[in-house]
Amino acid sequence: MTALPIRASRAPLSVLKATTAAALLVMGLGPVLAAEGGTDATINIGSLYEPQNLDNTAGAGQGINEAFNGNVYEAMFRLNDDGSVSPSLVKDFKVSDDGLTYTFVLQPGVTFHSGDPLTSADVKWSIERVTSPDSKSSRKNSLKPIASIETPDDATVIVKLSSRSISLPYNLSYVWVINDKAKDLQSTEDGTGPYALEGWQRGAQLAVKRFDKYWGPKPENGEVVFKYFTEATALNNALLTGAVDVITSVQSPDSLAQFKDNPDFTVAEGKSTTKLILAYNDRVAPFDNVKVRKALARAVDDKKLLEAVWGDYGTLIGSFVPPTDPWYVDLTKTDAYDPESAKALLTEAGYPNGFTFTIDTPNYDPHPLAAQFLQGELAKVGVKVNINVITANEWYTKVYKAHDFQATLQEHVNHRDIVFYGNPDFYWGYNNPKVTDLIKASEEAKTVDEQTEKLKEANIQIAEDAASNWLYLYPQIVVSKKSVSGYPLNGLNSQFFAYGIKKAE
Amino acid sequence: MTDATPALSPPSSPRLTPAFVIGATLVGLHVIVGLITLFWAPYDPTAMTGGRLAPPSLAHWAGTDRLGRDLFTEIMVGARIALAVGIGAVAIAATIGVTIGLLAAFASRTVDDVLAATLDILIAFPTLLLAMLIVAASDGASLGTAILAIGIAASSIVARLTRILARRVLAMDYITAARVSGTGWLGIVRIHVLPNIWPTLIVNLALQFGLAVIAEASLSYLGLGAPPPNASWGRLLQEAQATVYTAPFGAVAPGIALVSLVIGLNLFADGLRDVADPTRRRR
Repeated sequence: MTALPIRASRAPLSVLKATTAAALLVMGLGPVLAAEGGTDATINIGSLYEPQNLDNTAGAGQGINEAFNGNVYEAMFRLNDDGSVSPSLVKDFKVSDDGLTYTFVLQPGVTFHSGDPLTSADVKWSIERVTSPDSKSSRKNSLKPIASIETPDDATVIVKLSSRSISLPYNLSYVWVINDKAKDLQSTEDGTGPYALEGWQRGAQLAVKRFDKYWGPKPENGEVVFKYFTEATALNNALLTGAVDVITSVQSPDSLAQFKDNPDFTVAEGKSTTKLILAYNDRVAPFDNVKVRKALARAVDDKKLLEAVWGDYGTLIGSFVPPTDPWYVDLTKTDAYDPESAKALLTEAGYPNGFTFTIDTPNYDPHPLAAQFLQGELAKVGVKVNINVITANEWYTKVYKAHDFQATLQEHVNHRDIVFYGNPDFYWGYNNPKVTDLIKASEEAKTVDEQTEKLKEANIQIAEDAASNWLYLYPQIVVSKKSVSGYPLNGLNSQFFAYGIKKAE
Repeated sequence: MTDATPALSPPSSPRLTPAFVIGATLVGLHVIVGLITLFWAPYDPTAMTGGRLAPPSLAHWAGTDRLGRDLFTEIMVGARIALAVGIGAVAIAATIGVTIGLLAAFASRTVDDVLAATLDILIAFPTLLLAMLIVAASDGASLGTAILAIGIAASSIVARLTRILARRVLAMDYITAARVSGTGWLGIVRIHVLPNIWPTLIVNLALQFGLAVIAEASLSYLGLGAPPPNASWGRLLQEAQATVYTAPFGAVAPGIALVSLVIGLNLFADGLRDVADPTRRRR
């Protein structure tokens, strides 16, 4: 749902800004905010991911999903924190026998924050917003099977598909339902969620307030304030000093020591979907050669890298699929660490003396560190690595858009994103017709079991092809004050549902 | 009383102030360490030789970083990078700055005004921002682009100083005499201007050296300096930031190295000024 399937940047440039913000919070607002709990409590959420704007189809980054999904905007379906999908603004739906016609009945009595009632026209407009040519949503390809949307009456939406799409409800879970009269969605909102936007101070915080005409259950708190930091240390200090109540995801294992043995805080580990990968440009030599890619996979001791970056946290993965996806298979044995066979494979591939390539490396932690680790590991099998440090913006234009790269490091945050390997035009240019067909067929499957079987097969194939070098799965760690509970742990697709968060009085 | 006849008092011999001695020692130490790393270092700076974030020990004097690399080795190599950037940047700043400064001093009124205004605008621009623009405009960051960027950014300050100093000399009567006697402008520069302005210039260049070292660390901290795995102190500081609570020494050690070199350079520059400028020695 993020415009990019990756993390927004945390450039160290604005460290000063964050530190100042933290200092201000500590000195000025801290005592004021340390107010009472209860059902009208204000929950202060600390995050590193400030959205660029408020529109998830306009390159806003993952921060907007965190703040708005399920909180300010709702979709027809909801992706729950356990990975299941359940109806949200849809009360009931029917699928025709050929799987090509979906008839949705909307929840009655739903109003937008502006006061307008929810109608089928709003839903149609909202879906078309995501599929429009201007939309920068990375997932808009998934909605391609939608051929037409009909609205016979105000409460009914009929979606006709050109081909079966078993994950349509899942895909609709990231299509925000927005009032079709809404204007300027990059800085305002008009959704149906339990909270309405109260104010957004760029560079500092975004506040949402409980919406009293909400159609569903009343939230457990009165107001939620997302406070943004550009640097993990400043964020941790904010939690230590009480300026925030909870941190959505801790990005530095060493800071955990401060909270782990402290009875005032809760450290909870959820399941992450964020993968650190070394993506090759599979279009260009030598990375168009499967043997070369397999050799490089075997040359890198992922376990050692994970330990260097995360200490005792995190999980090793053998492909792009994390254990929370239904089509997970343990593939860590495929091309496991084995430098000797890596050398042999390189010789077989025609590179007995290795080769030289450049890794375009985003300038924020852990990428530069990981790049240096790879440099050391690959040197042992005779492959020389140059490190080119770039900013997140350069990454977007040079790598993601122009495909002008040999290899790059990147963190991919999304849930169920193996589908990217079925798109030969994606930035890494992996093109195996078998995988493309499997992923296409899985979408047209008649049952979830059939879909799962097909995607498992695709998963095994991309691992066999060493399509990219999947280094590790991040841990997902949420830290909060002891008095705060009820927050989501997994944060799938970066979501952070705030309505369940309770603060003890 | 003592000031009554200053012009007649015999020139005192250059006095080495304690500040100068401390400064020269600190700088000298860094130079020696930097030179040593050309031939020898305790470890390979990129080799992962120890555990993750090992504390300082006999085997690893400053401990290790997250990849298990020896920090002391990296800091030693960092001294070489810092000095190389300082020397390179100051050489560029001196070449460009002195040339433009002299041109402005000799140029017609209009050209001089334009040059002076341009220099003022450039100086108002933060050095680091200018350096970042230059690095961004070039194709990828490297040690070379960092040196070039810092050197160009510093050259405006050198140029303005040169212009002011040179104009003061050019206003002297003996310059008019030299001109009348047919000395060309290059001759005037060589015989009269440079010998008169170099003491002040040298002091300023020594200060620029210290600023260049800080600028390089800042650029590397932002990922715009020498690319990893070059052991720039700025890169070491940036990498240590994530672990500053559990392994504070990783940030403290390169910090000490950076501060000691910059303080050394500043004290050295101060001392040089005392030596070079006789008026400073008077009470």
